[in-house]
Amino acid sequence: MIEVVDLHKRYRGRKVLNGISFTAEKGQITCLIGINGAGKSTILKSIMGLTPPKSGTIRIEGNPVGPAMYEKVAFVPDHPTVRMGMKLSDGMQFMNDFYQNWNEARAKELLDFFKLDRSERVGNLSKGTTAKYSLLLGLSQDTDYILMDEPFSGIDMFSREIIAEVFSSDLIEARGVLLTTHEIDDMEHLIDKAILLQNGTVQLAFDCEEMRTTEGKSVIDVMREVYMG
Amino acid sequence: MNEGWTSVVFNNRDPVYLQVVRHFKERIARGRLKAGQVIPSRRELGALLKINPNTAQKAYKEMEEQRLIITEGNSPSRITEEADILRAIRSELIEDAVEAFVVSVGRIDVPVDELLELVRAKYVKERARTNHSEGGNSDD
Amino acid sequence: MNRYLKLVHMEIHRFRYILASLMAVTMVCQFSSFILTIKRAIAFKAKNGMDYDDIGLPDILTFPWVILKTKEWFILPILLSVTVLVLYTILIWYRDWFGRSTFIYRLLMLPSKRWMLYVSKLTAIIMFVFSMIAFQLVLLVGENMIFKAMVPAELRADSTFVEAISMNDALKILLPKQFEQFIYYYGLGIIAVMVIFTAVLLERSFRRVGVLYAIAYFAGCVVLAVYPVSFLRMDEYWYPNEIYGMQLGVCLLVAVISGCLGCWLLRKKITV
Repeated sequence: MIEVVDLHKRYRGRKVLNGISFTAEKGQITCLIGINGAGKSTILKSIMGLTPPKSGTIRIEGNPVGPAMYEKVAFVPDHPTVRMGMKLSDGMQFMNDFYQNWNEARAKELLDFFKLDRSERVGNLSKGTTAKYSLLLGLSQDTDYILMDEPFSGIDMFSREIIAEVFSSDLIEARGVLLTTHEIDDMEHLIDKAILLQNGTVQLAFDCEEMRTTEGKSVIDVMREVYMG
Repeated sequence: MNEGWTSVVFNNRDPVYLQVVRHFKERIARGRLKAGQVIPSRRELGALLKINPNTAQKAYKEMEEQRLIITEGNSPSRITEEADILRAIRSELIEDAVEAFVVSVGRIDVPVDELLELVRAKYVKERARTNHSEGGNSDD
Repeated sequence: MNRYLKLVHMEIHRFRYILASLMAVTMVCQFSSFILTIKRAIAFKAKNGMDYDDIGLPDILTFPWVILKTKEWFILPILLSVTVLVLYTILIWYRDWFGRSTFIYRLLMLPSKRWMLYVSKLTAIIMFVFSMIAFQLVLLVGENMIFKAMVPAELRADSTFVEAISMNDALKILLPKQFEQFIYYYGLGIIAVMVIFTAVLLERSFRRVGVLYAIAYFAGCVVLAVYPVSFLRMDEYWYPNEIYGMQLGVCLLVAVISGCLGCWLLRKKITV
């Protein structure tokens, strides 16, 4: 379980995170929902140790953030992080060199699934293809958790469908997924838990199926209530 | 075995796993799923219907509780062979449809006989059409 | 250890084209000016008689003399290389942040201790510097061979490398006569790189305020480092040995502080 307790962070003078607390379980797909600038990326980066929070605690399976943790948690950022001049295969080789959890067989599988050309340079890829490659680098690691920052934003519809298929497949199964998005759209039926953010705090966190069973509301309905009401 | 599981369109207000169960029931009632037929595994179902594996898991559990499917040991799950359950499914779906129909028509003032005549005509026409498009594969 | 080596390899690999270009430019400048100078000298002698004694042209040519005559062309590529390497001590960090992709994400998420990033980049810079120096030595050997090949035996005299090097101001500093000086110069250079690294990390950790921190830190280190040698010496109170000891101590202190601060910033304060 990933636990975030009372996270505070300032960014350029603004209080972006004002006491964020939530948990993301293993084996579940948790989604952080909020408008642009709500601090979703900042939360993920804080969990991954890429930016220091002002205060608050982050625990992954009870342990604080540290280098050993990077073998257990993978991060798929919303922009390319592999050097533009590298080929796709170079990036994969890099991961293979440095991570013990790298699953080369799965990486090859995903190359085929996403129809990527391993000799192509990262700098030449379109936005949709870059997103698929970033996803490949994250999913090919045998980690317990995988964090994704806006995996669908700015992606064309067909690439989106292909990426969405990943969530129903066994690539995700038994892992804990924490993703962020500002548009839930047709993704609703894929997530287990939704966490709504606003003004730097968690407005509401709920299990989606339970919400449908007990109140007959979709996630979008709840969002409308919380953000507009 | 895996054809025909075209992506079901889910409405987001009803629990997805119950919609999956309902989809199964419809297929059984329509004869697309026969008694004792093997069904896709949890994982395969998730991928086929493009849903979260947890939802597929929940749907399975629900169907097992309702004795819709049977899982024996490590063999793949199968549709139940118990006739009364199959019959009950059929009745449940018919009743649900009738209920919905009656509720929507109930507001209009129309004598029962005229209503039944309309229903019969419509029904016969509809059956003829679907029989024709399915190449006569009906088990009326 | 393995990961550290992989990181060093990666840093060197990224810079290989620039390094090769610097070496090529140096070689071309030095060799061509060398050859031209010798040719002109011999032609002049041939025209005006073998023993014609000119102010600038001795009757016996030596290797150090040619080095002296080609001073500018020698110094130019050296200055270029030094500038590029100094710039790269800063760019080696910034290139991971800027551009369409932010490679720093990948580096910070590696399952190894973060100080390895600091040390691997430091190692890479040190290796670049030493490889350029080694290359320069090789060039000198080559130039000596060219000299021997081009100048007929009766017009030339042998000399040592040390004499040749002392003819060129830049080479005198880069390749000092005494080993002790070598240690001092390059030790100071390494400490300077560490200070620059830490200043960069200060800027990257604190962004807007960070620029001020970086500049202040850099200035502070410079002042501290020259304090014993400049101010205390003026005092005439301290023995030279004591000043020497203090200077050494101060430099080591600056190095240790820079290293520890830099690694701490990478671990706790760095932000993407």
